[in-house]
Parts: sequence; C-alpha cells; structure tokens
Amino acid sequence: MATVEIRNVAKSYGPTDIIRDINVQVPDGAFVVLVGPSGCGKSTLLRMIAGLEDIDKGEISIGGRVINDVEPKHRDIAMVFQNYALYPHMTIAENMGFSLRLAKQSKAEIDQRVGEAARILGLTDYLQRFPKQLSGGQRQRVAMGRAIVRQPQVFLFDEPLSNLDAKLRVQMRGELKDMHARLKTTTIYVTHDQIEAMTMADLIVVMRDGVVEQTGAPLELYDHPANMFVGSFIGSPAMNFLTGTVRHDGGQQTFETASGFRLPVDAAVGALDGLTATLGIRPEHLQLAQTGQGLGGKIVTIEPTGSETFIVVQLGGDRISALLRQRLMASIGDEIWLMPQAGTTHLFDSATTRRLG
Amino acid sequence: MSSNRSTESGKRRRFRRMLVDRSIDVVLLTFSLLMLLPLVFLVSNGFKTPQEMLAWPPTVIPANPTIDNFAAVLTQTPLLRWILNSILFAVMSTIAILATSSIAGYILAKFRYRSLNIIFALVLATAIVPFEVYMIPLYFQAQSLGILNSIWALLLGYLVMSFGIFLIRQNVIHSIPDELLEAARIDGAGELWIFFRIVLPLLRGALGALGVLAFFQAWTAFAWPMIVATNREAYTIEVGLALFQTGFTVDLGRLSAASALVLVPSITLFVILRRNFVQGVASTGLKE
Ligand SMILES: Nc1ncnc2c1ncn2[C@@H]1O[C@H](COP(=O)(O)OP(=O)(O)O)[C@@H](O)[C@H]1O
Ligand SMILES: [Mg+2]
Repeated sequence: MATVEIRNVAKSYGPTDIIRDINVQVPDGAFVVLVGPSGCGKSTLLRMIAGLEDIDKGEISIGGRVINDVEPKHRDIAMVFQNYALYPHMTIAENMGFSLRLAKQSKAEIDQRVGEAARILGLTDYLQRFPKQLSGGQRQRVAMGRAIVRQPQVFLFDEPLSNLDAKLRVQMRGELKDMHARLKTTTIYVTHDQIEAMTMADLIVVMRDGVVEQTGAPLELYDHPANMFVGSFIGSPAMNFLTGTVRHDGGQQTFETASGFRLPVDAAVGALDGLTATLGIRPEHLQLAQTGQGLGGKIVTIEPTGSETFIVVQLGGDRISALLRQRLMASIGDEIWLMPQAGTTHLFDSATTRRLG
Repeated sequence: MSSNRSTESGKRRRFRRMLVDRSIDVVLLTFSLLMLLPLVFLVSNGFKTPQEMLAWPPTVIPANPTIDNFAAVLTQTPLLRWILNSILFAVMSTIAILATSSIAGYILAKFRYRSLNIIFALVLATAIVPFEVYMIPLYFQAQSLGILNSIWALLLGYLVMSFGIFLIRQNVIHSIPDELLEAARIDGAGELWIFFRIVLPLLRGALGALGVLAFFQAWTAFAWPMIVATNREAYTIEVGLALFQTGFTVDLGRLSAASALVLVPSITLFVILRRNFVQGVASTGLKE
C-alpha cells in the first residue's frame, strides 16, 4: 500500500497537449476513479503512472519515491487492461503466476499464492484451462487475479468492465469493491462511466481535455459541482441548464430565466444584480407545483417506469427533463408546473461556467 | 401418423445427405488420382527399358522391369550428394528466413520509430525487384567472399525473404495486441523474454506456414544454385536434374529414375511434418 502523488504532470504528442499540468493526491489505500469523456487523457495518465508512457513534465511518486525514470516492472504496480491482455498460450494458472515466475519465486510459493487468488475469485476449477475456454467475466477475473498475486503497492485499472454486458458489469463492480475492501490496496481506476465512478470511488477525479476539472468524494461532486461540465457529467439523467439573469428584489435573490420564469436562489450565493448566469437543476430535484409557480410548460415526452416518471417539458425556448417520484396522470401536450426543491439548485457564471457560491 | 411421416422425411433427408457426401468423395478421389498419375508414371518409367519407354499405350507396370537407370544415375552422378546439398540448403535457408522474418516482422510491427517506416518501405520495395536483377551483383559478392561452390554461397541469396517479413509483421499486428506486451513488461519480463516466450509461441501458426514456403522455395531454387555452383559436387538436386536434359537429347529413363529418387526425401519430409504442414497452412486462414 502506498500514496500516489501526481505533481504538475504534462504530456504532449507532437504539438498536441494531451495532459496539461495535472495534480492529484491519492491517499494510501484509497479507491480513486479517473473519469471523463472518451479522449480526455485518462488512459494516458494511467499509463504514465504505470511507466508505459514517458512523463514530459512534472513528477509522479509512489509511496514517496519519484518513479519518473523507474522501469514499469520496478514500480511495484499491477495493471488490468480493458481487453484483459491474458497470454493466450498459457493456462490460467500460468497466467496468474507469470509475474511470480519472472521474479524467481519458488514453485510452492507460486502455487500457494495463485491458489489463494483463485479461491478468492472463484477460479479454482479453471486453473488448468486456457483463456479462450473462459467467458468474458471469468477472463476479467483472471486479469484481476494476475494483479492480486503480485501483492503490489498500487492497482491500476483501465476501463476493466467495458467489454462486459450490463448485468455482468454491475456484478463485477460489486466484486471489485469487495476485493478492495478486503485487500485495501491503493487503487486507481479509469472509466468513462460516471455511474461506475459514483458507485465505486472514495475519491473521483473528473477530467476533461487533459485537465482536472474537479476532485472530490462522489456526493461532494454531486452536491457541489465546481463548474457546468462537472454538473452535467456527474448524475444521470443529466442536469438541466437554464440561462437567465440574477435579480435582487429587496432582500430576495431570484433567478429570471430567458423565458421569463422566476425561481428563488439561495441568498448565500451573493451574485451581483443583473449578472448573466446559468441555473443548474437536476431532473430528480424537480417536483410538481401549483399552476403559476416555478416553471410551466407543455409535456413533450413522458416515460413511466412504474416507480417513477421521466418527463421532458418545453419551457418557451428551453427544454428541461424531470424525474418525478410518483405516477403522473398526464399525457403529451398537457401543461405542467414544476418547482425545484429548496436548496438544490446550482448557479453558474455563464461567462466562466464556474459555480457561484 | 405424423410421427410416421416425419421419420419418412427424415430418412429421405439422411439419404440425400449421404448421396452428397459420396459425390464429394468421388470428385476428390478423381482429382487426387489425376494428381498422383504423373508421379506413378515417373516411378514406373524409372524401371523401364528405353524401348518400353516409347511404347504406346504406356504401361503402368513395366513388362521387363530393370534397375539399370537407377544404377546408372547412382554410379555416374553424385545424386546422393546433390540431395544432401539440397536438404542442407533448404533446412538452413528455412531457419535463416524464419529467424530474420520473425525478428524483423516483430520489430516493424511493434516498435514505433520514424526510421522503421523507411526500412519497412525498403523491405517492400525489395519484394518488387525480381531476384534476377540483383543476382549478378550478389554473385560477385559471393565471389569476393570466396565462398562459391559452397553451401554458404547458396545461402547468401536465401537468408531473407521480404514476403516473410511482411507476413510476420501483418500477423503480429493482427494477433498480438500491444497490451499483451505491456502486461508482460509490467509483470517483469525483459524484451528478449517477451520475444521468445510470448511473441514466438503466438506466431507458431504463421511461422509453420512460412517455414513450409521457405523450404520449398529453397528446394526448388534453380537460377541462383546454377550460377554459384560450378563444380558437380556443389550442385543442388534441381541443378543436377537439369543436367539430364542438356544438349539435344533427353535421357528420359535416367531422368525418371533420378526424379523418383528425389521424391524419397520429399515424401519422407512430408510424412514427418504432416501435422505441422496441415496446421501451418490452416493457420494462415481465418482459423485461430
Ligand atoms: N500514441 C499516441 N499518439 C498520438 N496521440 C495519442 C496517442 N495516444 C493517445 N493519443 C491521443 O491522446 C488523447 C487521449 O487519449 P487517451 O488517454 O487514450 O484518452 P481516454 O483514455 O481518456 O479515452 C486522445 O485524443 C488520443 O487521440
Ligand atoms: Mg482510455
């Protein structure tokens, strides 16, 4: 186990900057998820930690030791790849014991550690098979087993669940969390799936275009997104954004949308009167309101799922979606009024997209 | 009633399928007989007298079998020596081509330096230039090295096969993902270890096919052995056989006897390598 520190790290391929001045502190034993849209540089950063890519600028240290110029095999890390990267010509036991064999461990020691990992992962009956004789989920477990037997200081995962079907993904998510709870090894996990990030992470690092947009615990990011990007990226269905103006009426602060609706804004935000701003409202924070209160419009889409109802409403020039925790006896074209729950809205400066307050 | 009808139609379907199977057998058998026939005549001609050789219709089993042709070939020419030269040449050339192709193909497929693109373009370019074009300069090289009339001169022209490099490069790109090599590097494997324990085993199929190709390329080579081997002892079997048809006459009986003898090592090799051969050819297809 060890901390991982990424300090002012940058990388470019030719003239293109892929990673720009990234700083991340991974606490000892934490499960940290790097999340962001595809192409934002997550894999590149992970591969720099693994030693598969050079670090152009800055420093990465593992357990207090700067590893910029250390060979991958001496970084004391284990990596699990999206396509599993199992050696096709070796049995499962050989795959899992490969690194130990290279480290010249005794046969007894290898058998013992492979057997132990296989037991944890439920692979004991498959040890003499070859990778192509296993299912996708089993192969993924073998890849994890190969990482476990090394007992490294840090686990690195690059989208390990992307090749699995939805049901298996949920199951493996649980298994990975269990494994982390048991081993408590520092883990850095890359994914483009915010649900994976929210459900698994102790700490989430949201990246975009090679920079860190925000770092924080899952609910921190959900409750206090630092900017509009994080607001829209974290949470599903995605956050609604309404542009408008901040108004000070006496002691009251309100937000007037472009289509003329007025919503109360937490006074603590302290935005200037007349500031052009964007209000973020999560679909699950909208509630039915009396006619004339909050936001009113015509229903464009209505999708009941039994326990809740997802609707899309046309508000003048804007469209917003709402996830209502009730059945709705309404149909497309009906008028509906919605109001955000008190204290759940997010106000952003339209010019900088940064959070206000 | 209905079950009765279904067994009826089932029987008919089975019968039809059997009919198709038998027809396929007949077609394949016909073709293999047609391909075997020349070999059968070759062997039988070796045992015929000159008169019978010219008789019409030709006989499959000679009327008065004679071993004169074989005796003449074996005593008057160093036939066994030529066969030995050919085997040695083909085996060494195969080993050299497998080694150069797998190393170069792997490096060209997996290592990214700009200079490698140029080298790969050069390799492809040499594939377009016919061997005959640089055969003569190569001959002078062999001469200045003082290796004419030796196995080394034969080998000089058959150490590298640009098609082999290309084949292995494509195979590596196709069947060995980068992550596999990266996983091995993280696991602690060195570059040589990766090449011998991961890359080569995964290329077994492609190397098998390339080996067969390389072996027969050398076994049937003619022009190059012809020019670098000037004394009879240094001939390969291809060159040696050509001697039987020089000038204005063709000694058919002796040629047949010599050719029949040459078949012996080829067939032996095929029997020994039959499994690899079939695997190698199959693996160049879509099979895993
Ligand atoms: N070897 C490379 N050469 C040039 N550009 C690359 C290379 N590898 C990745 N990139 C670029 O770097 C960016 C980030 O890639 P990556 O880290 O794989 O993104 P992510 O994993 O977040 O989807 C992408 O735009 C990709 O095109
Ligand atoms: Mg990636």
